Amino acid sequence: MNHLSDELLNEYLDNALSNRASVEEHLAQCMDCAARLTALQTLFAEIESLPEVTLSRDLAAPVMLKIKGASLSPRWLTLTIVLQTALALIAIIITAPLVKQFAASSVSVLQPPSLTEVFIRLQSQWVLWLDMLSQLRMPVMPEIPIIEVSSLYFLLTLAGVSMVWLVGNGLLLRNQIKQ
Amino acid sequence: MDAPLDRELILRARRGDHEAYGELVMRHQTSVFNVCYRILQERSEAEDMAQETFIRAHSRLESFDLERAFGPWIRRVAANVCLNQLESHRITVELDDEHDADENQRPEATYEARERNEQIRRALASLPLNYRAVIELRHYQEMSYDEIALELKIPLSDVKSNLFRARKLLAEKLK
Repeated sequence: MNHLSDELLNEYLDNALSNRASVEEHLAQCMDCAARLTALQTLFAEIESLPEVTLSRDLAAPVMLKIKGASLSPRWLTLTIVLQTALALIAIIITAPLVKQFAASSVSVLQPPSLTEVFIRLQSQWVLWLDMLSQLRMPVMPEIPIIEVSSLYFLLTLAGVSMVWLVGNGLLLRNQIKQ
Repeated sequence: MDAPLDRELILRARRGDHEAYGELVMRHQTSVFNVCYRILQERSEAEDMAQETFIRAHSRLESFDLERAFGPWIRRVAANVCLNQLESHRITVELDDEHDADENQRPEATYEARERNEQIRRALASLPLNYRAVIELRHYQEMSYDEIALELKIPLSDVKSNLFRARKLLAEKLK
């Protein structure tokens, strides 16, 4: 009688055989193969009964810390990007009439202004702004002329937008460097 | 009050509840660490890899099938992480004295049982990486031959022969 091969016994115990009946039939008649199967079963049991070793440190705290850290920066970055976009839109809305006005006045001039003309124009604009600012009164609501409030609002908003834009870019850049 | 099921904790963790994921880690950290320890055979590295397993698993939590049990899934992730780690570093594992002096096993185990367990650990650690991998996946992760072949990206015939040879070597060492 031919004995069962070790490979076949392995596959039998691993439930990887389609025809288990023929193996079982042989095992019922062959003491030698049955003994080899028992030895293999004992080995399986020994491997699988290996007790668990306990951890020397708790993993929950460091894992949570890492996860929190990983999820914090993208949220910050997303917020920054959203804020930057919103402020950019606000800046465009505020400055659009001025840009339009400036563009309209520039188009009428066929020849480009000389450097001196640009300098004089900027200077007069600057003087105008300073004059407007000097006339700015403390906020007694009914007395505030609309144009003065707009100018202040305009300047403060632009300063705010620039600030947030710069800080936001700094954050984005820092994140890129980290990666 | 009953402890929440793994499924509930996963759902909460998906919504950004870090405490819920921390609870999951606490529940499964020992079994995950043991997978890493059996494969890597080095306590400190096994703990690091167990931690890495939970971090990676967190990023894959959205794709986790809630109909499946979390335990077997996270242990498979752990096996995968450790096998990749071994593969990338090609660590030649040699058992150090830590195994003999491991005091973290069950205190009620008898001296003989502890000795036998130590012998099994040493025998497992002495196996080549490809043999250790199939033993881990078949005996501890209870994967089928097909699943092992898929996991290790090797032919089915290699799974069978590696398992057969690994067990033969183990039997010889444990005589």
